[in-house]
Amino acid sequence: MPLFGKSQKGPAEVVKALKEAVNSLEKGDKKAEKAQEDVSKNLVLIKNMLYGTSDAEPQADIIVAQLAQELYNSNLLLLLIQNLNRIDFEGKKDVAQVFNNILRRQIGTRSPTVEYICTKPEILFTLMTGYEHQEIALNCGTMLRECARYEALAKIMLYSDDFYNFFRYVEVSTFDIASDAFSTFKELLTRHKILCADFLEMNYDKVFSHYQRLLNSENYVTRRQSLKLLGELLLDRHNFTVMTRYISNPDNLKLMMNMLKERSRNIQFEAFHVFKVFVANPNKPKPILDILLRNQEKLVEFLMRFHTDRAEDEQFNDEKAYLIRQIKELKPIPGH
Amino acid sequence: MTRYEGNISAYKTISILGHCFEGTAVVHLAKHISSGAMVAIKKFDMDKIKEGAHLVEREIILTKQLHHSNLITYHTAFVSGPDVCVVSPLMAYGSCRDLLSRHFNDGLPEQAIITIIRDVFDGLDYLHRKGYIHRAIRASHILISAAGRACLSGLRYACPIVLNGRWQRSIHSFPATNGTEPFAGMSKTLMLTEKVRGCIPQLLDSTTLPRNENMECSGDCEVSNNVVNRRFSEDLHELAGLCLHREAYDRPTAGQLLTHPVFKTHKKSLTLPELLRPALPLSDRVAYDTGIFTMKFFNDEV
Repeated sequence: MPLFGKSQKGPAEVVKALKEAVNSLEKGDKKAEKAQEDVSKNLVLIKNMLYGTSDAEPQADIIVAQLAQELYNSNLLLLLIQNLNRIDFEGKKDVAQVFNNILRRQIGTRSPTVEYICTKPEILFTLMTGYEHQEIALNCGTMLRECARYEALAKIMLYSDDFYNFFRYVEVSTFDIASDAFSTFKELLTRHKILCADFLEMNYDKVFSHYQRLLNSENYVTRRQSLKLLGELLLDRHNFTVMTRYISNPDNLKLMMNMLKERSRNIQFEAFHVFKVFVANPNKPKPILDILLRNQEKLVEFLMRFHTDRAEDEQFNDEKAYLIRQIKELKPIPGH
Repeated sequence: MTRYEGNISAYKTISILGHCFEGTAVVHLAKHISSGAMVAIKKFDMDKIKEGAHLVEREIILTKQLHHSNLITYHTAFVSGPDVCVVSPLMAYGSCRDLLSRHFNDGLPEQAIITIIRDVFDGLDYLHRKGYIHRAIRASHILISAAGRACLSGLRYACPIVLNGRWQRSIHSFPATNGTEPFAGMSKTLMLTEKVRGCIPQLLDSTTLPRNENMECSGDCEVSNNVVNRRFSEDLHELAGLCLHREAYDRPTAGQLLTHPVFKTHKKSLTLPELLRPALPLSDRVAYDTGIFTMKFFNDEV
């Protein structure tokens, strides 16, 4: 023990002290203030072990390994997340920093925390419902996006019923929470290409019926973001099957044609990138071809005057010229 | 505690205070109807913003996750039509740049400078301890409240030092407006030596105000001759010298700067509002102008 100053607590002691403090915070007994203080103090101790401070390096791997083991055995990660709303403002962020650091821990090619969370998926579900609560939404978002980096965890989230709550979270009235939820939502749908493609294929109807609501949202930002993401999803070659299905539905084409005429130029522009996929399809189903033929002249005229001020955007102009040519050359299928 | 609704009808717009974000955002003076509190509402027209949309988002999310009396707070942020609206407390003296250009063309009085930079260092020290560097410290990003409290704003260029679950040893991403930020290759502790150098000459003397915001952090922001000619205390000259040290490694951190003797010998005989006279806070001017409010109060960046 050092002669001066406090002796340093080991991982086991800090985890035990933190767990006791969180438990008494949860109970909300009369010592709540003291419990709050203890939670904050011990969280900082753990954070400093992992990250170091301006004066001290992070703890050696062996100490961090012990700390991680104690966190798993005590089930403290879940307990912290369940009680996140009771922890003070800075403490909430410390929880997220500790969680994210522990999550990234690796032993060779293994990620022990990821394996641990796979056995405790309630951690993920609790984090996802965090978007329901203003005061912890952004903290939960930080942790969720870190989780979404791991395919195994992204899969659990995508295939859970709770995933569909995101369609609500991305539209809440508080802008920062809606934006944060959208980042997480996008990460889940785009990060792991094969996982995402499989998921969208298997759940096409459910996902796209929900997605339709976002595209028709009253909220300008939601509408624009979701339209942009739709374009990205359809143009990703991994999602070929999903794309083919999407561009075979005449209702989807009608929606995009209406969006091309929206007042907002940004929405028009994003809609263009979805619309072009319908036109470029070499095997257009009859209902799609019929709509395009019915509007052939109007579309050509419209596209000729569409965003003519984007002179320096070469790719856009090439694509637009290609679409005009394609539409001009459309002919009814013989025999119909 | 007052609840600020995420709905534009809960506020009554009074006048335009200024423009920012390259003209794509307008700052309004407004009244929160249910509480009567005066607020500033910044409206970003998202349909006009092309590349910068993520900066708006980032600034709002980051600001909401910070709590310090010397950092700007947002009451709420919501979408209204194509606008993202950010409601914040009214900073009645506007920014330091407004003060310099409107009332203190030869620079602020020393006592005022010391009071303001102390607040700035306090806010910056908190920001650094939370793992962010600001990267856009400038007079237009230092706002002063009616009570004389300085708040840092402009967090859209802020950059996290903690990435991927680790403190970064160096930062290689640069703010969009400027490619010469001297942070690359610095160690963790030294990185905290945020460039406070920009703000000090600005507060000392408005003649060093860059003509173009984008030029500001060119890395060679020297104190102009006018400043040398003005009589400041030895301590303040020394403090400015420390911040302007050519070698980034030799510059002190915001936390270290707070222990500088200039803040100890500084006598708090007068409050900042007293020191800033004849400048008046906005609410007093509203009363003075008997409610008729046509003047443009802020220059541009708020």
